[in-house]
Amino acid sequence: MAVASVSTVALSMAILGAFLLLVLGSHRFVERQLAQFEIAVFLPVGASPRKADEVRDAIRKLPLTKHVELLSREKEWAEFKRSMNTEIDLGGVTGNPLPYALHVESKDSRKTNVLADQIGRIDGVAHVTDSRETYGRVKALADLVKILGFVAALILCFTTIFIISNAIRLTLFARRHEIKIMQLVGATNWFIRVPLVLEGIVFGAIGAAVAVGLVSLGSGYIATMVQERFPPMLRDLSSGIDRGLFLTSLVSGGALIGALGSLISIRRFLQT
Amino acid sequence: MIEFCDVSLAYPNGVQALSDVNLRVARGDFVFIVGPTGSGKSTLLGLVYRELLPTQGRVFVAGQDVTEIPQSAVPYLRRRIGVCFQDYKLLPQKTVWENLAFVLRVTSVPRREIRKRISEALDLVGMMHRCDSCPAELSGGEQQRASIARALVNNPPILIADEPTGNLDPDTSWGIIQILSRINARGTTVLVATHDNQVVDRLIRRVVALDGGRIVRDQDRGLYHHPPESESLCQSELTES
Repeated sequence: MAVASVSTVALSMAILGAFLLLVLGSHRFVERQLAQFEIAVFLPVGASPRKADEVRDAIRKLPLTKHVELLSREKEWAEFKRSMNTEIDLGGVTGNPLPYALHVESKDSRKTNVLADQIGRIDGVAHVTDSRETYGRVKALADLVKILGFVAALILCFTTIFIISNAIRLTLFARRHEIKIMQLVGATNWFIRVPLVLEGIVFGAIGAAVAVGLVSLGSGYIATMVQERFPPMLRDLSSGIDRGLFLTSLVSGGALIGALGSLISIRRFLQT
Repeated sequence: MIEFCDVSLAYPNGVQALSDVNLRVARGDFVFIVGPTGSGKSTLLGLVYRELLPTQGRVFVAGQDVTEIPQSAVPYLRRRIGVCFQDYKLLPQKTVWENLAFVLRVTSVPRREIRKRISEALDLVGMMHRCDSCPAELSGGEQQRASIARALVNNPPILIADEPTGNLDPDTSWGIIQILSRINARGTTVLVATHDNQVVDRLIRRVVALDGGRIVRDQDRGLYHHPPESESLCQSELTES
């Protein structure tokens, strides 16, 4: 029965742990896509370098600004000419017609549009592009992933607790005669309860430790496979959380579920 | 020592197991509780060690109303009552010695006392030579003797035996009853529920007969079946009680 309990805990916690890693990784992946949205700021054509510096300094002072870069007009013009080399005849264009442009990163990817609005109100700014529509769609997707992941994780948590509690209950059921005899000879409820709860903790912790091993092996194998077969943008599905902390939490969670499962299950057998 | 006052018990399914039972058992008594199957013998004994609660009435054990004690006090009540059953209820993974030691551990008896008490109990029932055997290695009679030893190891003032000879042959059954009689001779109050008429008729002790959940006879020195010529005497005994 001990093997049955431990293996049930191990499999249930392995599924839960793998799922949680996947949910956290997916959430982080989508959040990273959001963070890549930059704001492009354009000054009017003919604006002076001093004005460009003033606008840059004003943007830098905004609380939501993480990073602002004033792009080199010369480099941009050279790059533009190189990219349009065979398509447009630029022989008649003299000077650099491109306006000053800045790239701005937001500290909070979810407030990119707020920052864009603030930048639009700065004196000297002609145009702001924040890919608002596309950003909105990706943000909605990120929120959906977060909510669905949370709900699914919660359901899976309760399911895991239920499965593990049932496994412990079966173990106690198999020992019901022993528990009954203990009651008949005058054992107090705590005398009966404590060893069984400790057993639940140990089974839960051991099962979760086995689950940790399974998840670690599995995630390593999957990570290798993803890196070999998927495009670079999909390769980084790491959860972003400390692996040691996550695994310690899993073992602690297993021990806690084992203890709770024992406590809840033993109550029935102690009712006389 | 034990007193039932207007005790009735109806199970949740509606079965009336006991009705208006009044019974007094003095310290040192040896009482056979007899009756056909379903007459309420086990129910009566179950009330003494608080396995069951009456629907009506009160049960007193050593002056304490056991129907009123909190659940947390029940283990301490049971340490003063030794119980043995038809199916022995020994821990299968432990030896005879360990089964008895377990009871003493539960009741926090000092280690130096454990060996002494176990030896005394096993000597009394004649099981010292099998103390290292597990229940599966014992005969029915030996298991019942081990069960009695376990019931005695805490020196309880009351010993309850619920059908102790139910699974045993006549000779072994008589051996078990003799052990219970010796225990009673040391001052322990003994209640034995049985439908084994041979041991009842052979020992001739107090007999309380149940039928349909009611006490129909209570004789100081009785037989299992009431002799027809003494029926009128039995009725007057009940009236007086």
